[in-house]
This record gives sequence, C-alpha cells and structure tokens, in this order.
Amino acid sequence: MKAFRNLVKPYLFWMGIFIVIPMLLIVLYAFTRQGNDVMTLTFTIDNFVKFFDPIFLRVLGKSLQIAFVTTLISIILGYPVAYYVANTKEKTQTLLILLITIPMWINMLVRTYSWISILSDNGFLNVILKAIGLTPVSLMYTDFAVTLGMVYNFMPFMILSIYTVLAKMDKALIAASYDLGANRLQTFLRIVLPLSIPGIIAGITLVFLPAVSTFVIPKFLGGGNYMLIGNLIENQFITVGEWNFGSAISLIMAMVIMASMILTRRLDKDVEDSDKGVNNGNGGVMYGR
Amino acid sequence: MKKLLVLLMVFGLVLTGCSDSEKETLKVYNWGEYIDETVITEFEEMYDVRVIYDLFESNEMMYTNLLGGEVYDVMIPSDYMIERLILEDRIQKLDFSKLSNYDGVMSNLKGLDFDPKEEFSAPYFWGNVGLVYNTEVVSEEDLAAGWAVLKNPKFKGRIYFYDSERDAFLIALKTLGYSANTTVQSELEAAYNWLLDFDATMEPVYVTDDVIDNMIGGAKDIAVMYSGDATYVISENESLAYFVPEEGSNLWVDAMVIAKDAKNVDLAHKFIDFMLSKDVAYLNTAYVGYTTTVQEVFDEVTGTDGDYEGYDSYIPRTDNPLDEVFSYNENTKKVLSDYWTLVKAQ
Repeated sequence: MKAFRNLVKPYLFWMGIFIVIPMLLIVLYAFTRQGNDVMTLTFTIDNFVKFFDPIFLRVLGKSLQIAFVTTLISIILGYPVAYYVANTKEKTQTLLILLITIPMWINMLVRTYSWISILSDNGFLNVILKAIGLTPVSLMYTDFAVTLGMVYNFMPFMILSIYTVLAKMDKALIAASYDLGANRLQTFLRIVLPLSIPGIIAGITLVFLPAVSTFVIPKFLGGGNYMLIGNLIENQFITVGEWNFGSAISLIMAMVIMASMILTRRLDKDVEDSDKGVNNGNGGVMYGR
Repeated sequence: MKKLLVLLMVFGLVLTGCSDSEKETLKVYNWGEYIDETVITEFEEMYDVRVIYDLFESNEMMYTNLLGGEVYDVMIPSDYMIERLILEDRIQKLDFSKLSNYDGVMSNLKGLDFDPKEEFSAPYFWGNVGLVYNTEVVSEEDLAAGWAVLKNPKFKGRIYFYDSERDAFLIALKTLGYSANTTVQSELEAAYNWLLDFDATMEPVYVTDDVIDNMIGGAKDIAVMYSGDATYVISENESLAYFVPEEGSNLWVDAMVIAKDAKNVDLAHKFIDFMLSKDVAYLNTAYVGYTTTVQEVFDEVTGTDGDYEGYDSYIPRTDNPLDEVFSYNENTKKVLSDYWTLVKAQ
C-alpha cells in the first residue's frame, strides 16, 4: 500500500510548481507596490483599498448578478432535460447524453464567436427577421447576449450533474410512493426533487463559479465596455500593466468564490441532515443510503 | 525483422520532420490583419528559413508579453511604445548598412521624436485617427462640430469607439483644445470627465478589430477608426466616408524594431529590408489598406490608376500643426490607464 502512495508524488510536485507558487506570487503582488523588482519590496494594502471604489464594487455586483441569473436559468431549463433523459431507456440515455456533450468538444472560443455571427446586427437572426418582415433587433453588446452566451456554455454542466443523481436514484422509491397513494406531482416534489438536490448543488458550483469569473464571453458578446470582474482583472494585467492591483482583485475574487462554495456546501449539508430527520420519523423505513 | 523495418521508417520520418525545425527561425510580432501573409512564405522560401509569426491587439498587450519573458526578433509597435522600449533598453540599434531599402522610406517619417537620431526603427505603416461615418445619415453640418459630433444626441447609441486608452484620450484632449501629450493633471482630468460624460450620455460601444466588419455591414453611423482601416471599409462600402477633425488628430507610425536579446539579429535585418522592398511593400499596402512608408509605392498607389487613387483616408494629413505624434510618459500612462478603466467600468 505504501508503495502506491508514492504515485501521488508527481502530482504533488506538479501542484507545488504550477499552483502553490503562482498563488503565493499573486498574494505577494497583491500586497506590494508597483514595480516587478523583487529586491525592493514595499508592502501596502492600497491595492485593496483601491478596489472599494463604488465603480469597481458595481462591477463585482454585476458579475455576481449575471452569474446568478445564468445559474438560475440553467437550473430551470436544465432540470427538465436531465429528468427526461434519466427516464428514458438506457440506450437512449447514452445517446442523449452524447448529444448534450458534443458541443463541448468544440472549443469555447469558436462557439462564442459563432454567437457573434448569429446575434450581430447583420447576423443570421436579423437576416431571418428581415426576411419574414419583422424589424431587426440589436442584440449584440447587451446583458441578454452575455447571459445567453453563459447559459449556452455552462448549462451542460448543470444537466450532467443533475442527470447523474437522477439516473442513480432507486426507482423502487418512486413505485413505493405511487403505491402509497401519492400522485405524480407529489411524488416529484416529495421524493425525486429532494433526492436530486445534491446534483443541483454540484451543478450550481459548476455553473456559478465559471460564470462569475469568465472574461471571454462578456468580452466577445458584451463589447469592450462590458466589464465584469474577469474583464477587470484581464484588463489590469494585459493593457494597464497594473499587476499588483490585478492580483488584489484576483484575491478578492478568490475569497468571494470561497464564500459562495462554503455557502453551497452548508446548503447541501442542511438538506442531508433534514433528509435523515424525515427518514427517522418514517418509523424506520430506510432507503438505500 | 518487419517490426524493425517499421521502427526504422518511423524513426526516419521523425528525423525528416525534425530537419524542418533545424532551419534558422525568425520570430516576428505584429498587429493582427497587418500583412499580406503570402510575403511571409515568400521570405521563408527566399532564405530557406522558418518564420514564427505572432499577433497582438494593442501596444500594451505586446509590452505585457515582453515582460512575461517572450523573446521576438522583429516587432512592429507604434511610436510611443518604441520610445518606451528605447527608454527601458529593450530594443537594439539597427545596422542601417544592412538595410539597403531604407533609403526609399518617406523622408517625413524619418527621425521623428520617438527615435530622433534614426537609430532604432524602420517605419512600416503610418496614418492617423479619424471618424468613419455613414454619408446618408451624417451631414456636413453635423461634422462641422469636429470631434464634438460624437456628443451629438442624434447619434446616441449609433457610435463605435476604439477601445484604446491613448486614442480615447486623444479625442477628449483635442476636443478640449489640449495637447495629446499633455502632462498637466487638470487637463487630463478634464478629458476624463469628457469621456465619462460621453460614455454616460451617448452609449457608445467600445470595439477593436470587430469594428471593421461591423462598419462594412453598416451597423452604426459613426466609428472612430485608424486611417488604414478606414480605407479598407470605404473600399467595401461606398456610403462611408472618412473625416479628420480640424482640432487635430494623432499622426502615428508603426515601425519595425529588433529586440535587445533577439536570437537572430542578422536574419531580422534581412526581414526588415525585405519588408521595405518595393514589391513587398506594395503587396502589403494593397492587402491591408494602410498607408505604405515607401515613397515610390506611395506615389504609385495614390497616382493615376493606382489602387488608392481618390481615397482621402489613404493620404494622412501632414499640414495641420495640431496633429501630433504620441510620446511616452510613464506617469501620464498610469493616470490614463486608471482613468480609462474607470470609464469602461462605469
């Protein structure tokens, strides 16, 4: 057994060089003044103070808002799909899941670019609108375009994680629910939905986190003035050259993400606890946990 | 035995594959859509070398990549960035004895302020910044306002603005009657307020290269553009025209330079000389629409039956003293960057 433990070492080495050291560098940059010279470090918290400008806080707020809406839409649209797929024959399931994952084989940049040619003022959509005699709409560079791009890119993660939970669910429980006189809606609300919450929560983590930090989608579909927190960070590094401020924002971002993860974890745990409560109250009827 | 043969063949393949990468290589760093790519192939064949051709979107992005440790042989940044690279000792002096075609470069582009002694750079393209507008919507009277046409409420939501801090502040400063290279804090602040107000009231869309296709498609009425891009979009859409306000613009020069730690200095000189040769310069300008720096080619394409005969935007204005070349100032750069972030984040 001990020999196997050594197999972890290459990864530890990898992680040390490519994750831990860069993280330390970010922390170092965030707390120092401009100038990339390691020899003359001056520590400061100015970079953090600078962020608490109403303009930057609004950028953070907007990022959280867009990510929240994206996640919500992903759940609303994704849940029925996952539910439907999980209830088809096993062979069909494999095929449908394949269809959902196929777009993910194509690079995200390419897929986002293609939305530009669909949504732009003389794009595919407007050409069709004009052809059937409707007035063309300006969709590019709006909240709508950005949210659409995010939902499109991240929803598969939501579907997959809900589907995984639903597919593994013990069908006998549903049969039992019907036997005991529950109708379809009651069965769904009281058996299926509570049991699938871990899947939803995993989905939230997989959708919310990338959505809150992405910069490519808002850059392409929102235009140069559509600034979310990811764009702000990119901008500080690439154009402005303020690596210190950029690092500070990255750290703040990391903390926001950490907080939201702890929050969802807690939500998950609460659900599990209350589930157990229900089970115990059921007079010892336990299902396969 | 058979297996051994296959192995040998595979080995042979790998070896021949390798021989290609053993050729001398030249790393070139240039703006996107800024060359007729066939000339790269031509250069590769001519000297039996391999060219690694990389693209950047802005001078700032190029600079950041250099800081990241990337080493290029030839780079083609703009004037103020060249000034910065010279100042920070990141580029080396050119050996003009190896650049036989340099004599053909237009004399008004030599020895400008960013490289006053003609030591570090060889001009590639030049031009200015102006407005491309839809002649069916924007009238002569509208344009009489100069840059202020950008604040005409008629065009609210109908404007593309170039996403570049230098160009944004150029417009604001010129509108207010200040120098584009001002270091006076109150003037910079006034320009910042102008941009804030512009952003809030006119709902402009900030773009970079996507402006080209969008304007050809007629998506908006006015766009801030470089003269070269203007020439291209006007050639594709006849209802567009180019206008440079009298209040002054930026006269810019993008020039070829060689990095201090370039690996292949000799080949880099050959490349620069090649790019300045008459035929190659013609191919490039005919392809991208930017104004050539080679006098003979310039005369040819702007002359009778030339490719750009009758295109105002192809001939950058040189007789307006208010047109300035950008210069680099470390402090101002920081101020502008911060302001521009705030305007965009607003």
